[in-house]
Amino acid sequence: MDDPSLPIPISYIAGSYFLFSIEAVTYLRREHHICGVLSGTLPQIPQQNVFLGLPLKLMPEEARLLVDKGVACIVDEVKVQKDGMRALMEDDRRKYLRELESQGEHAMRVQTSRKDEQREKALKKLEEKKARKAAKAAEQQQQSQQSQPVVADNPSKEQEKEDDPIVDLFADHAPTQHPRTQTTTTTTTAPYGTSMGVTPATSHPPLPYTPSASEHLPRPAVPSSYPLFAHLHADGYYLSPGLRFGCQYLAYPGDPLRFHSHFLGVSAEWDEELDLMDIIAGGRLGTGVKKGFLVGGRGWMRGWMRIV
Amino acid sequence: MADTDEAAINLPAQDAGAHIEVDLSDETQDFRMLNSISFLTDGSQTSLPKRGEKDFEPNPTLFQADILSASRQAMHNALSYPRLHHPKHHVTGVYAPNGPTPPRSAQTIETTISEESQAKKPATTEVGVPAESCVYISAPKGQLFKTIGQADRWNRIWLLPEEALYLLERGSLDIRWPCSEVGDGDEDGTEDSGIPMSLQAAYAAFMGRSGLTSERFSVYTGLRRLGYTITRAPGWYNEEEGADVSESEQTSLMRQQGPGLAGIFGRFLQWLYRPDEPTTALGPVAGLGFHRSYEEIYRKLSIIPWYDPTTAPSPAPRTTPPYRVVFHIYKPSTPFKKSAPPVPDFRIAVVNARTHTTFPLLSQLGALLESTPLDPPTERMSRQLYMRLRHGYRNVILAVVDEGVVSYLRIADSAFGKEQIYKEKNVRGNKGPPRPRPKGR
Repeated sequence: MDDPSLPIPISYIAGSYFLFSIEAVTYLRREHHICGVLSGTLPQIPQQNVFLGLPLKLMPEEARLLVDKGVACIVDEVKVQKDGMRALMEDDRRKYLRELESQGEHAMRVQTSRKDEQREKALKKLEEKKARKAAKAAEQQQQSQQSQPVVADNPSKEQEKEDDPIVDLFADHAPTQHPRTQTTTTTTTAPYGTSMGVTPATSHPPLPYTPSASEHLPRPAVPSSYPLFAHLHADGYYLSPGLRFGCQYLAYPGDPLRFHSHFLGVSAEWDEELDLMDIIAGGRLGTGVKKGFLVGGRGWMRGWMRIV
Repeated sequence: MADTDEAAINLPAQDAGAHIEVDLSDETQDFRMLNSISFLTDGSQTSLPKRGEKDFEPNPTLFQADILSASRQAMHNALSYPRLHHPKHHVTGVYAPNGPTPPRSAQTIETTISEESQAKKPATTEVGVPAESCVYISAPKGQLFKTIGQADRWNRIWLLPEEALYLLERGSLDIRWPCSEVGDGDEDGTEDSGIPMSLQAAYAAFMGRSGLTSERFSVYTGLRRLGYTITRAPGWYNEEEGADVSESEQTSLMRQQGPGLAGIFGRFLQWLYRPDEPTTALGPVAGLGFHRSYEEIYRKLSIIPWYDPTTAPSPAPRTTPPYRVVFHIYKPSTPFKKSAPPVPDFRIAVVNARTHTTFPLLSQLGALLESTPLDPPTERMSRQLYMRLRHGYRNVILAVVDEGVVSYLRIADSAFGKEQIYKEKNVRGNKGPPRPRPKGR
């Protein structure tokens, strides 16, 4: 895992902050405890909402924290894309397309070889089964022994065609030739050309990694609950948006991948009058989901109040 | 004794399973769970992994550190899975930053015709697709286009920004930059330049286009992923006056038929039974006089005024921007035809929790509900009081989005006053309080 070079550009698009580079996402999670919210569809399993993919959406608080730390900068992505693509040189374009094509070829090779492997395995299993069956049959019926071994090799081929959709789910776009005859030449296969189309996640290869100064944006504006966010984050908590649990921030003691959250964080002004009903409702809600209800605000003595 | 009672309370009720339904998408899941799914046999894997075990809090053991790094590695692997297009299923679209235009070959010949059609249909462009479309596909193939996109006269399918972005994100569509955008010399070239758009570029190009906010997009993709069909509702366009006319027209039609006769009859009955308003100042609430049945007494006792959702105020109040139906949702089981969309199963308004931090006002909610057609409880619910109350007479779904995390709330206009419990002969049929709906999702 390579660490991305700093500062990491955060894309500002239509009022939201996004990260598109997987390196940046992993790095920020590991080193800076910034998780964000995955908001994209995972292309490998697109019909569910449990595991989501890139892009990673950052809260304004998270973006601000990273900018204040000097780890990231905010970039006007719309402008970058528009100007960047217009200014693209013919050579760069060609280089980029070549690169994509080689990526696609590689992907195709990997997939076909994997398919072949699978197919081989399935075939082997099938053959073993056949052999076992043949042996059994031979044991049982001594008289028909002479016909069995002759057929044993051929039916496996025929059988395999019938079994294809069950055994190998990718059979429809697998090489049409028989795999056993061409395991050595795995690359020359696909009937539709040798390269897959690739949709890259980031625009970094054709466009520069760090955009010019004119495309930088000022620090993100943050809500009044930012001090609570920054404080909890400095304490080592991982934070995520918490409306689903009726609070502003869900505070996790460690990476949310491995730990359940402990606190429901709600921000308040230091001298703000709190409605007792709110505290009771929050406390009861927290108990209901096995979390503590936490109210925090910045005071003139940097004091913190916790209600658990 | 007390102990057994307490134990009984703590014991899960018989239908507790339905109550404590764990929604996996509520919290971040361990990506190691994904490893158990083999992507190669994706089609056969119908169920998702069960909730993984998580630890209570970090400790300095190597064991825990190892698991965490394995989890992160799994997440890294899952997220870096590329979007590949096998040549056999490769669908290519081209980004059209200036909206729908006829193909170059047809441009010169068909100018006269296009002018005509433009005059007829101002809402659509000369090519007969929504003006907000921004990606065209010349050779569409696959199941997805049954519910997505709009075809023009040249058999190209035009996509709205959210549709294009969803398909690209899903790995089902390869969108190319047009010649005009990549400095290919040609200023208004809408042809394919051959350069694929990255996910990043697509977000920059489509997000924020024609009213597509990231909140709306979260709702769109979230429901699409679950198999729902989604179309834009007339309320999508904030600025357009009378945008929701079509739907309120429907309601006004229904209103005329519905309460017309019954309403007059009801008023007549009211007049008959309640000659003067009962007041507690002058004797008993039920009033003086002869009471021959309990029903009569109860009716006189119902002194709290209530509102009948079937008789809505005639000029429907204006809806205010976030509280407006922006999506029509169709269940996967509803047969959907692009050319003639059926009556939607649900209507959704999208609210950004960061800019609207308080619950909507009654007037805002009222106007929102008023803008949806009347949907009274069905025959099936005629014996189930709580079902009826829960279903209500109009309903709408609020999708509240907090930085990419979506919560859904169903809001219904219930008529408690219409449920005259004293008239029900068989009261035992509904015992126990109504089961609370699981909050959000």
